[in-house]
Amino acid sequence: MNLKNAPIKSVVLVVAVIALSLLYSLMANGGNGALKNVKNVSAVGATTPSPTSNVSLVGSTNKPVSPGSETNNNKAGGQKFVGSLLYQNSGVRATYQQVRQGQTLFDESCSSCHGAYASGTDRAPNLVGLGPATIQFWVSTGRMPLSNPIIQPIRKPVKFTQAQILDIVSFVASQAPGGVLIPNIKGVNSATLAEGASLFDINCAGCHTITGAGDALASGAYAPSLHQATPEQVAEAIRTGPANMPRFNPGVLTNAQVNSLVKYVTQGIQHPDNAGGWNLGGVGPVAEGFIGLLIGVGLLVLAAFWVGDRK
Amino acid sequence: MAKLDVTKLRDQNSKSKKTVNDQIATTAEWFDDRLGLAKGTRIFFNKIFPDHWSFMLGEIALYSFVVLLVTGIFLTLYYVPSASLMIYHGSYAPLRGTVVSAAYNSTVNLSLHVRFGLLVRQMHHWAADIFLGAIAVHMCRVFFTGAFRKPRELNWIVGVTLLILGIVEGFLGYSLPDDLISGTGLRIMFSVTESIPIVGTHLAFWIFGGNYPGDGSIIPRMFIAHVLLIPALLAALIGVHLALLVKQKHTQFPGPGKTEKNVVGTPMWPGFMFKTQGFMFLVVGVIALLGAFAQINPIWQYGQYLPYKVSYAVQPDWYMGWLDGALRIMPSWEFQYHSFIIPNQFFPSILLPGIAFNIFIIWPFIEAKIKKDKSEHNLLERPRDNPMRTAIGAGALTFFFMLFAASATDVLANYLTISLNIVLWFFRIATYIIPFLVAAIAYRVCIELQRAGDGAGKRKRFNVVWRSDTGEYFTEKSPARSDDVDYLDGEPEESLELTPEVSKMVNEKADLIASDRNGSQESTDSDPEDLQQISRD
Repeated sequence: MNLKNAPIKSVVLVVAVIALSLLYSLMANGGNGALKNVKNVSAVGATTPSPTSNVSLVGSTNKPVSPGSETNNNKAGGQKFVGSLLYQNSGVRATYQQVRQGQTLFDESCSSCHGAYASGTDRAPNLVGLGPATIQFWVSTGRMPLSNPIIQPIRKPVKFTQAQILDIVSFVASQAPGGVLIPNIKGVNSATLAEGASLFDINCAGCHTITGAGDALASGAYAPSLHQATPEQVAEAIRTGPANMPRFNPGVLTNAQVNSLVKYVTQGIQHPDNAGGWNLGGVGPVAEGFIGLLIGVGLLVLAAFWVGDRK
Repeated sequence: MAKLDVTKLRDQNSKSKKTVNDQIATTAEWFDDRLGLAKGTRIFFNKIFPDHWSFMLGEIALYSFVVLLVTGIFLTLYYVPSASLMIYHGSYAPLRGTVVSAAYNSTVNLSLHVRFGLLVRQMHHWAADIFLGAIAVHMCRVFFTGAFRKPRELNWIVGVTLLILGIVEGFLGYSLPDDLISGTGLRIMFSVTESIPIVGTHLAFWIFGGNYPGDGSIIPRMFIAHVLLIPALLAALIGVHLALLVKQKHTQFPGPGKTEKNVVGTPMWPGFMFKTQGFMFLVVGVIALLGAFAQINPIWQYGQYLPYKVSYAVQPDWYMGWLDGALRIMPSWEFQYHSFIIPNQFFPSILLPGIAFNIFIIWPFIEAKIKKDKSEHNLLERPRDNPMRTAIGAGALTFFFMLFAASATDVLANYLTISLNIVLWFFRIATYIIPFLVAAIAYRVCIELQRAGDGAGKRKRFNVVWRSDTGEYFTEKSPARSDDVDYLDGEPEESLELTPEVSKMVNEKADLIASDRNGSQESTDSDPEDLQQISRD
């Protein structure tokens, strides 16, 4: 940069950036910009079908399930009902009952934005083909249903029971094959903590911080705290890459590696060895500095005030 | 004289049992005969120290330095200053079987296995934070009261040098464990050293033994600087600091009987000695409490530093925070002239502290030059007595505080759920605006306090507005109470002589208000028409 014009340029730069950031924050808080953002972000994790893609209704491909008024739980449209696979490495399929109940729940709580058959509207993205893991992650962390479209939904109290969540998952999975199945985390117990710790340092700490406390990223996005995540949610997040998080395919992290990560997050991160007392929120030297100055130096200044002359 | 007394005492007691006092006296005499200490000790014991709580702030730093020395010696018994790699076999499961450096391994082991190890390590770290915090607070006291003026400029320079050495010592100390956060700090320091024009790269390669992270020699080098070189300098300079204080005598606030020529206060023995020893125990106590109950730098959770590993939310310790903040808010400008380039990091992390510390050092001379003041000053000024200095100091302090806060941009954005970009731009602009606002407000407050005199903060007296039967309005001051002072000239106020008639009405009205407040609606026989209003001025 030319030194001579630096002051003028810097003033112009400052004004321009303030204007841009105001404009951006306006777009981000209301209007369609944010919605597009959500749509794009969620779609990222879902475009590639999993190798073990499942089959939905036999003989009724591309047609939404319409259970109608039939009483037989094993039949749909007079044909043998074959539900979608839900879990990785497991033959468990969604039952007809689950799909029906899921549709009711979806109609009540999801369809106003995602459309009656989860195919998306101008307010919310298409969920068809995203796979059971994605749907279960967003609903089981309470992030969905969403009251207000924002850049990045936050973790909230969960609205449904475990069974109801599976119902919704079954319904959405019944719409089309593909997507990521709910990861199998049975191997977590035999995984090694040290491998998880070292994978966490390399792949996760860059955003979630080394203590898993989470932190702000650029432009209003953030990496959430990992302290409330369940083992299943950790694995689902790794495999599906919700919101701003990158997606880690089986080619990047093997199932065994995902299991070690799950073990480290749910044991090392959520129940750290906090020898040494109160951990001050696990945010490192910022909190330590405030405690050192406010409580340490503060108490000692008060002590000086106590023993010294106060005239 | 002293000798005579002791001999006499000994003669008297030779027949009866020897008391403890006799034994002390005999021992003291033995030393005095050989070393001649009595005269010096007498002078020392009779040394006068002025009493004011703010004069004890520097002692916090002194005693935390003592804690640092004692705890530091303990830590050197277990710490291994080596970057050689080994397999961790300790008790912390997430690290077991991984490759760590000997330095990191020994620090984790001394934290989790050595008896008292973690307590001592945490006390050492908290004591370092408090040491530098106390230096900063002490420096503010000296600055805002003008204690650095002639003849104490040299001691001010020694003090600023102690601050700089303390910051360097602290940085080296928290870089030694070789954990993730300390390695990130070293990485930044390497780049900062590299950014010095012309010599930067050579200097950085020389210190680290090659391109980052070097050949591992940085750890033993930092160790020897941290445990020998800089502590020796610190101890020597603290000695000089105190010797100059004794030689030049302590400053004092103006007050009854206090002049430029005398020192009014408590003698070293017994008063000051006991007070300062008690204060030492308080300092050690607070540090021990923090060390026992507040976790600091849990390096086993952070893991071994490897150059390709990185964590978010990494900050330096607070005393380096302002430099980190300056780095964070620096726009990405680089200045190039033909093939010479001045890298971006040079401005916030070499030029800024360079200018800041140089201004600190020469400030006494700048002020003397501006004020054309060549006289000696043993009486302190209150901050309000010198509004311009107070304003400059408050502005500078705010500037550094803003930089300090800017080192936590990510943590602030996360906790306040604001966009990180907005937080960053706030600091880029506010860091240069808020200090001027604070300086202007501080200046204004000083002027107001000066005008208010000694009555500042005291209660103002009521004004009583009343109306006569014929409709005229009068304003009178309410009767003075015992501790009322005139807020304009600070003199104690005398009771105003009201006419019996007015005084009666005021009292009746006061009774009426009191009865209203108590909820009892008993009517009084006064005529409320006579007094329209009783109000605060």
